[in-house]
Amino acid sequence: MSANIFDRRRVNGPPRSVEPLYTDEGDVKPFTNGGRADGRSLDQLRPIFIKTGPLAVQPTFSPTAPSGSAYYEQGKIRISCAVYGPRQGRKSNPRMGSFDCDFQYAPFSCSWKRRPHIKGADEKEIALILEQAMAPAIRLEAYPKACIDAFVTVIESDGKFATISAAINCISAALADAGIELYDIVAACSMSLNASQWVSDCNQAEEDVSQCSLFVSRMPSADEITYLLQQGKTMPDQTDRAVQTCSNSCARVYAVLSRYLQASMEQPAS
Amino acid sequence: MDMDDTSEQQQVAFAMHTFERIHHTEFQRRFLSQNTRHDGRAFSQFRATHVTKGTVSTAQGSSTVRIGNTTVVCGIKAEVSEPDVKTPNEGYLVTNVELSPMCSARFRPGAPSDEAQVASEHIHRLFGKAVDLATLCIESGQAVWSLSADIVCLKYDGNILDTAILALVAALEDLRLPEAQLDSATGVVSADRTIARQLTLRKRLFPATFALVDTYLVADADDAEEQLATTSVLVVLDDSGRLANIWKRGACPVSNETIHQCIESAVERAETISKTL
Repeated sequence: MSANIFDRRRVNGPPRSVEPLYTDEGDVKPFTNGGRADGRSLDQLRPIFIKTGPLAVQPTFSPTAPSGSAYYEQGKIRISCAVYGPRQGRKSNPRMGSFDCDFQYAPFSCSWKRRPHIKGADEKEIALILEQAMAPAIRLEAYPKACIDAFVTVIESDGKFATISAAINCISAALADAGIELYDIVAACSMSLNASQWVSDCNQAEEDVSQCSLFVSRMPSADEITYLLQQGKTMPDQTDRAVQTCSNSCARVYAVLSRYLQASMEQPAS
Repeated sequence: MDMDDTSEQQQVAFAMHTFERIHHTEFQRRFLSQNTRHDGRAFSQFRATHVTKGTVSTAQGSSTVRIGNTTVVCGIKAEVSEPDVKTPNEGYLVTNVELSPMCSARFRPGAPSDEAQVASEHIHRLFGKAVDLATLCIESGQAVWSLSADIVCLKYDGNILDTAILALVAALEDLRLPEAQLDSATGVVSADRTIARQLTLRKRLFPATFALVDTYLVADADDAEEQLATTSVLVVLDDSGRLANIWKRGACPVSNETIHQCIESAVERAETISKTL
């Protein structure tokens, strides 16, 4: 894929550049005799850190600051999200509001080649996934003619499916911070199949060697799945099992999210 | 009584916010005429500045810089490419500033805004001589390092140029270039990250921006003040105290004394900032 498309609105580099061949990458296997390289158990998630309202401009009123924002970390994954709205939008439906999502990787956020500035098809696809995963949780009928926009930037990624799940959790927190009416918080979790064993919340190295990855986003109190995506081959009963395990993991993520949000309501950020 | 006090305070706060929304210009002028600013700073005072290096593990060099509310992340990716025919021994340093709609409602999705383009271009020219591009050569005429420095704004509250320049200096200092060799038979460049070297900067750059709001010269204007400013002056000094760059923007003419005042404050600022960087 040609990464460098000449763009006169940016400072352009050489027409073609490649990553060097790194000789120090020994054969460190992400899975060695049943265990994981980072010492986690198979169903253990990476530690989660959330903060709502990092993009609020203090102390004075700012007409350009977002109405809600969140910063989310899960292991090495780092995501920032801003929610604007409900505000006037281009699309105006007199019965329902609309929810739009914009997703972008920072050019330096991936462990392989630098990403070009021009948005790739994968970013547009993920934006659509996020929109469809979040929309069922938002009370759009409460915002006729209005537009709610979420802008997600990945500062650092570590595993594609894990990053999508993290983005969903981040948007959930940002929507709650913006005071948008929600049916429930959407929590998401990813999983990969390696040597017929399901492994939760895989990082990039683990996803790379796995035969199949999937993620589930769920509204745990309503016990409803809002999005399910699988890539790779499995037997139907294996997927069944994975969805079950993922749902349990979503409940754990949900507990972290709701505990944080509750605490932040009781104790306004200083 | 306590109840009355708090409700009175709330009323004053409400009145203040209403005033700010309705008469934004007048709101700021009232502060300036009292020799202070809406966030309580003195005219020559910069906002608190924090620099953290090595914040992104997927980049070869990175930094996060905060000036008040304005936050940027700079990541440098090092890749290999062919040198330009005219300069066979020189690598590339490509700098871009990204002001996404996430950081402020001022920016729309899609193509970079004028502000982002201007900032990218200016920083690119400013750093053209700061890095010795000959040190990026792997094999003359065949392979050189191409450093892509992307400065992503996470939170926008004015003075993006100072923040971006500081972030780029910090990220370049954090950069570790692996030892690379060109295999002339296959044309493959192999690199070993266990033997990494630091890039030597010819000069560290210390920026300081001043804005002229009415007749008041304020240092490090935030977003609200920038909207009212008629002129802004960027002064960049290097570590030996020499002027690297002056950029006066805006159609409003300024006197020699004002420029002198800016340079003097910039020297002071450079001294304080060199300790945090």
